[in-house]
Amino acid sequence: MTMTNGASTSILDAPTLKLSNVTKSFGPVVAVNDISLEIPRNEVVGLIGENGAGKSTLLKILTGLHQPDSGVIEANGNRVTFRRPQDAVAAGIGVVHQEQSLLTNLSVAENIAMNVASSKDRATRFGIYRWGRLNREAAEILDRIGAKIDPRTIVSQLSFVDRQMVEIARALRVDEMVHAAPLVILDEPTSVLERNETEILEREIRSLKDVGSVIFVSHRLDEVLRICDRIVVMRHGEIVAERRTDAVSEDELFRLMIGHESRAAKRPTGDRSGRQQPVLEVKGLRRDGAFKDVSLSAAPGHCVAIVGTLGSGREPLCRAVFGAEPFDAGTIEVGGKPVRSWSVHKAVSSGVAYVPSERRVEGMVGGLTGAENLTLAHPGGTRRGPFLKRRARAKLAEQWYERLDVRPRDPRMRLGRLSGGNQQKVVMAKWLLADDLKVLVLDHPLRGLDPGAAETVNAQIRAACEGGAAVLLLPDTLEEALEMADEILVMRDGEVTARFDLSIDSPTTLDLLEKMV
Amino acid sequence: MDMWASVGPVAVFIVLLAVVAVLRPAFLGGGGIGILAIQATPILLVAMGQAIVLHVGSIDLSNAAMAVLAAILLAKALGPLGAPAPLVCIAVVTVIGAVNGWLIAFAQVPSFALTLGTLGILQAASLVISKATTVYVTANGDLLSPLFGTALASLPAAFWVGVILAVLLWAMLRFTQLGQGMTAVGLNETGALFSGLRTRWLKVLAFALSGLLAGVAGVMIIAQGGAASTNGLGSDLLLPGIAAAIVGGTAITGGATNPVNVVFGALTVALVPIAAAAVGVTPQAQSLVYGLVIIIAVALTMSRSSGVVK
Repeated sequence: MTMTNGASTSILDAPTLKLSNVTKSFGPVVAVNDISLEIPRNEVVGLIGENGAGKSTLLKILTGLHQPDSGVIEANGNRVTFRRPQDAVAAGIGVVHQEQSLLTNLSVAENIAMNVASSKDRATRFGIYRWGRLNREAAEILDRIGAKIDPRTIVSQLSFVDRQMVEIARALRVDEMVHAAPLVILDEPTSVLERNETEILEREIRSLKDVGSVIFVSHRLDEVLRICDRIVVMRHGEIVAERRTDAVSEDELFRLMIGHESRAAKRPTGDRSGRQQPVLEVKGLRRDGAFKDVSLSAAPGHCVAIVGTLGSGREPLCRAVFGAEPFDAGTIEVGGKPVRSWSVHKAVSSGVAYVPSERRVEGMVGGLTGAENLTLAHPGGTRRGPFLKRRARAKLAEQWYERLDVRPRDPRMRLGRLSGGNQQKVVMAKWLLADDLKVLVLDHPLRGLDPGAAETVNAQIRAACEGGAAVLLLPDTLEEALEMADEILVMRDGEVTARFDLSIDSPTTLDLLEKMV
Repeated sequence: MDMWASVGPVAVFIVLLAVVAVLRPAFLGGGGIGILAIQATPILLVAMGQAIVLHVGSIDLSNAAMAVLAAILLAKALGPLGAPAPLVCIAVVTVIGAVNGWLIAFAQVPSFALTLGTLGILQAASLVISKATTVYVTANGDLLSPLFGTALASLPAAFWVGVILAVLLWAMLRFTQLGQGMTAVGLNETGALFSGLRTRWLKVLAFALSGLLAGVAGVMIIAQGGAASTNGLGSDLLLPGIAAAIVGGTAITGGATNPVNVVFGALTVALVPIAAAAVGVTPQAQSLVYGLVIIIAVALTMSRSSGVVK
């Protein structure tokens, strides 16, 4: 574990990267405030912090997407200025972005070559690809990380997980360049990976340590503790703590990140079943090629979680409930009334809400302000006839921003400029402020959220339940399902393979897994 | 940046006007502004329609052809029908616009392709209805003549009609649920749909408005010239209309437009050829100047707010 502790003074051992007093503001918001940081050679540094703590901005500075307002960056002992992403690549910094940045219309090999193609490279001759070499090299590097992907595949045909592996392969390519010590930045690479794939990644990160350094950003504290040598905690744009991994606990990290101590109490498992009429009733729902003969019902205050692997059909099912995708047979009843010619608009006006997993694309309009997004679906008291009541809207937005601790606390800011966790809070609030929220469909509501934001979102889900809404939850993890749900449905290949009523059963994750695969 | 997006089109127009005034002081004194306003009126009306369609993330290549069709219909109908004729013609092209929108929204035909097709169909219809000649207004022409009398500040009433419509559209986009919905559709159609908005009907509405404004443009063409033909007044409004919308700060990518700024976009686009002639640019070089000024004006005024860094 202890290769270098950064105390070395030799010129040859200059840190791979050194930041001194780096600051970056966006208007009045100071995103990164006077940060000094050293990334020594052969070390894996974990970077953690809540959404909006300034991690993403810091990474963008390191990769040439933003220029710092002040401060000095040194790579391998030389002062550098990154005016554009290519400069960072030339300095030996490779990155896997939080949001996938592959060109989906090109092949895997082309995408992997893209990082280096701009510099002097052997993949092209006279500007024309040398396909044989390109594919061979891509295959080699994919093989190194244990990904079984044909480099000739067009990226759009890959699953999300495979794309992530390609991103990692692409970032790793910088170490094949002639730099003494490359730095690979992994920005939440594991948030969508399955357990066994995470293990492959961990192995790869350890082997990277032999040649260079790694900055590893993740919200999974256990993972950070397992992988990193040193952990840097950011809060409100500043570095609030640096700890060696062997001298810190998960609880302490959590406290440092959040700035206070509280893990919300678990959901009380009272008697919520029976008696009340179900507010959502799905009977024999079928869509050819996606799911078949699915029945479920949820009473007010009842949370039904659906678990299953990719291709289990749970995503199309919950989108059918929201009217976003069609179904071929069966019925959906909302509030006791069967739905006909179901559409998103009708679903929303009948009190069905949907928080999609593709937040930026489907869940919000990033170009509108937070306040506008909040009132988009249910304007309620913020309109009079066809007219908007801007003042009422601003007031409502301020209340919700306060309640959900959305930062920065400015509802007039474009929602697209907020960090992921804060965006998700606004997306949740958009549905929660409805007068008669009946059914809340949540597709991976915690994806990519830090523990603090996840807590806020979970608290809002519980509040919605208490307010009488039924929740249909597609959780990220089985633990999340066990924590939140009153009933768990397991799906496999489009069919429900098991049901667990948590007021009677207490299944383990193994029981669930068994029915999933 | 936001500040510049709101005053850019005005600034560009004023600078251009100042250049002309310095080089040729007689332009301002000799009623040049009135001529400019008359030239700008049909461009403005078509450009506002285009701006609304661009605002919801589509494009309407057929709206200039609708204006010509409306003008030809009006030239034929004004004599027999009298006062209701303009309203009838406007209604006809509004319906055509709505059909465009319906096919784009519900049959999912890309707007560029569909309106390119509609453009051809409308041109053919105009040729058939006009029998490929110029159609003159035979009677009741005086009904429309007040539109080109001076109304206020030595500018014709027709221009002020355009300005009032611009203010109404601006108010709709800014103060109504409907306008906010259109903005949302232009910025992120899926996100708007998944918030429960009736995105398809909002698109139909945008195209219907484009038709309606094209109809009004047709009325202005007849009011100005008393006649219409497929290659006469108003037959080349399409590209100036698009240029005026963009010079007025409308984003081609959708979600950002200010109809009041489109007024200045239209004035700029109309001013360039007049100014080039007044300043003494040779006829051969006039389209060169036109092209350059449009490029510079767009570069200065286009809304880039929804773009990423660099």
